[in-house]
Amino acid sequence: MILIFGGAYQGKLEYARENHRFETVCDCSQGKEPDFHADVIYGIEGFVMECAKAGVSAKEYFESREGLWKDKILIITDTSQGVVPIDKTVRAFREMNGRTMMYLAEKADCVVRVFCGIGKVIKGEKEQ
Amino acid sequence: MNIFISGGCKNGKSYYAQKRAKEMAESLQKPLYYIATMIPRDEEDRARIRRHLAERDGWGFETIEQPTNLTAILENPSVDKEGVFLLDSVTAIMENELFRQEAGEFVYDETAPGRVRRDMEAFAKATGNTVFVSDGIYGDLGEYSDSTEEYRKALAAADRTLARTCDQVVEITYGIEERWK
Repeated sequence: MILIFGGAYQGKLEYARENHRFETVCDCSQGKEPDFHADVIYGIEGFVMECAKAGVSAKEYFESREGLWKDKILIITDTSQGVVPIDKTVRAFREMNGRTMMYLAEKADCVVRVFCGIGKVIKGEKEQ
Repeated sequence: MNIFISGGCKNGKSYYAQKRAKEMAESLQKPLYYIATMIPRDEEDRARIRRHLAERDGWGFETIEQPTNLTAILENPSVDKEGVFLLDSVTAIMENELFRQEAGEFVYDETAPGRVRRDMEAFAKATGNTVFVSDGIYGDLGEYSDSTEEYRKALAAADRTLARTCDQVVEITYGIEERWK
């Protein structure tokens, strides 16, 4: 699995398109559950937010479906900086997003951080 | 050489940018310009400008006041286009153009994101020796008003264009440089 992360609007999906060959993208940024038939699962943070609202663990969701995503490209927005959110659900979301990212980064063969459209491999080696 | 610098706020980007611009001007034997972008709105802003002026004192910068319409510098006959320019910051120009002040009221200009992005790119290409400073404001939750979110989106798009156009891309974290390009 290749994990691509970075801050908002950094061009993460564009980076994936420029550096990897794939056809289908499942966009979860608006809260949709991942459809693992797609090659790329994008906007995972949107799904994590839905999990936080529902009080279920996004990390456990991914843990129990490892076989479905182990050959995919996963893209998630880094929300780890900034002040602790006042809103309880948002606070839970941020924590869950971080824990999900840590789990996925540990499992990933390759982790890429994207900054201003430029990717840097911070774990493993760049693959097609 | 065009250099794009970003990173978190209060991390030493300006100081690093000043050093890079000065070194470049010295090695090229060209004039060194500082593009001042802030429109002071209150005493806090004026104090910040005074502090920046003091920090640049003795560095050899000639200041050009250009809070909006960056490419107007290219039409200015008293400016040497082959000089070295320090633009600090992309963030301020985007803000000034996106939220224009007209008769004391803020007007949201939706044509600004594309225009500013193109101006930045044109300026980099026309001068070839500009150090651009922007701000990395994308690592948090993004729980902002719609207009602030549009601003973040616009600035990020300008950053990505500059990162593509510039020869070097540097992230500064507490004074330490990380090369991205």
